[in-house]
Amino acid sequence: MQATQLEHAISTIRVRFGSQALTRAGELPPPQPWPSSTPLDRLSGIEGLPRGRLTLLTGSGTSGKLTIALSLLAAATREFAHAVVIDPRGDFDPWSLSPFDPELSALSVVRLDPEPSGEAATALARAGAGFILLMGEIPEPWLGPLEASANRSGTVLVGVVDAPGRALAHASSLSLGFSRIDWVWDRGELVGLRTITRCLKNRVAPPLGESELEIRYSLGPQLPFSKPVIEVPLEKAEMECVSAVV
Amino acid sequence: MRVCCGLTRHLELAKRTDLYGSPVVVGRWDDHVIAASEEALPFGVAPGMPLRQAEHLCPQATFLAPDPEAAARLRELISSALYDLAPVVEVKVEGIAWLDVSGVVRPGDSIREARRRLRTAIGREPRLGVGPGPFSARVAATRARPGRVVHVEDARAFLAPLPSRELALDTEQLERLDLLGLRTLGAVAAIGPRELESQLGREGRHAVLLARGAEPDELTPWRPPQFSSAHRQFEPPIEDREALLFVSRALCGDLADELGLRGAGAKRVRVRLVYESGEPEERSSIVRHPLSSAAELFGLIGGWIKEWQPRAPITELWIELPVLEAAGRRQLRLWAGNDGTSEEVAAAVERLQERHGALVVLKPRPAFISSPLPDQRFEWVSS
Repeated sequence: MQATQLEHAISTIRVRFGSQALTRAGELPPPQPWPSSTPLDRLSGIEGLPRGRLTLLTGSGTSGKLTIALSLLAAATREFAHAVVIDPRGDFDPWSLSPFDPELSALSVVRLDPEPSGEAATALARAGAGFILLMGEIPEPWLGPLEASANRSGTVLVGVVDAPGRALAHASSLSLGFSRIDWVWDRGELVGLRTITRCLKNRVAPPLGESELEIRYSLGPQLPFSKPVIEVPLEKAEMECVSAVV
Repeated sequence: MRVCCGLTRHLELAKRTDLYGSPVVVGRWDDHVIAASEEALPFGVAPGMPLRQAEHLCPQATFLAPDPEAAARLRELISSALYDLAPVVEVKVEGIAWLDVSGVVRPGDSIREARRRLRTAIGREPRLGVGPGPFSARVAATRARPGRVVHVEDARAFLAPLPSRELALDTEQLERLDLLGLRTLGAVAAIGPRELESQLGREGRHAVLLARGAEPDELTPWRPPQFSSAHRQFEPPIEDREALLFVSRALCGDLADELGLRGAGAKRVRVRLVYESGEPEERSSIVRHPLSSAAELFGLIGGWIKEWQPRAPITELWIELPVLEAAGRRQLRLWAGNDGTSEEVAAAVERLQERHGALVVLKPRPAFISSPLPDQRFEWVSS
């Protein structure tokens, strides 16, 4: 009897608000991964960043999160027709992207105040831009529409913040925390840093622990075979879970 | 030619899935039986007999008046569901669906998917037959168990032992065949077309060709109607614009799904609001590029609704796409990577620039890369 009433309620909602208004969880497709060819693919647990979801890169200054984000952005410019940077602070520098060999014709930068930048990100995600890099917080009222729009179009959303607010942290499906463990010196000159990347939150797969990355700064002419980001070989203890699925 | 035939129950019966498992007879009171369920057949009920006789034979059956419009709607639904599985699709209200799978790269996949979609549409497993033409495929399907396929390679050899009543002839013509001693299709195939034409008329010649496996009939391909619409009634009438936007977004999603199935795009869009007070109000536009996705449709329609000033509570919302075209630019996706169409993103960028100024969306272009001054390395151009 209850099952019949429930079915009736479900069909009423679908008739009234559209067939997409209510979907059984079992019928929902799993998030599709976008293989970014960076060490983050392994940490996400699905061999890539989740499409249609928000991935957050967090950590204090000089922890390497922006460098990783730029390598993702460069990969996205080569793979997608549209890669967009939402830059509310106006400090995005394409020069820092150059070592990663980007395809600049596919890159657009949106420079707006924080409030309208949420609207811009939502509009572009709804239109189906392939990759959006958020260089800062998005106002809380726009997080819901942004998530929904990205979910429908499959846009890969990546946010870079030092310490995310509660709303942004809640909206993310994958949170990766960066913390610097050492500087890399070569002949008395600072050439990079070593950082630990931890999976702090994962809604798309069980969290897979942490990884150690070595990030080389772009100094002087770049050799074509020198990779700016190198994953340090894993040790046994690194595969332990850091947190539960949220 | 390779044709797959899916046999389901008559679409007049299929629209009442709640009566599955019990005897059902469809027909007008003063007319003949149009369709009878499998459960009614053992009582002697057969399509074509007077309904009063059917009631006498099977009084416990549920008798339904025919609803040709509902059956036709169901036929359209099944046709559109099968449309992308084969180049030629034909569905008949008698519960027969043909797909011409010749030339299809993986016909097995198409047949499996057709079976799944027919089962979803009808609620029962279809019987499937594959043969060199529509007639042999249909006859093969009648010999298949529900959910299984019977394949026919040599149509003439397959048809030869079957009774001649498989031919679509009227009772008098079948009796004539019986009198002539032509009780199997093999016997019919053995005589010349002219001989049987002299006995049965044009149908006789046709019958011989069918029995020989010559498959003289061609399928009539179903084409999607070049019109689409979606509407929602509001009870009670609404005045809230947010609710209207919400519903229009859902309708745009449904229409986009339908357009996606057809591979079509809307060249013209019309929105109609029906007011409680009477006189409806409408707005329409012809778009330069056919709209095919929900985002594109809602981008246009949502903008109208946001600035619309309804003069009374709204009882109905209609979104009509009176002119459809092939969504040719879908092909661009082949080149555009994995994201949405470039036009959609470009339109979104244009809207942002209209609202906030041309300089809010910029593209970096290399200028003096080797310059020591960061500002000189790139120039910013409006997107």
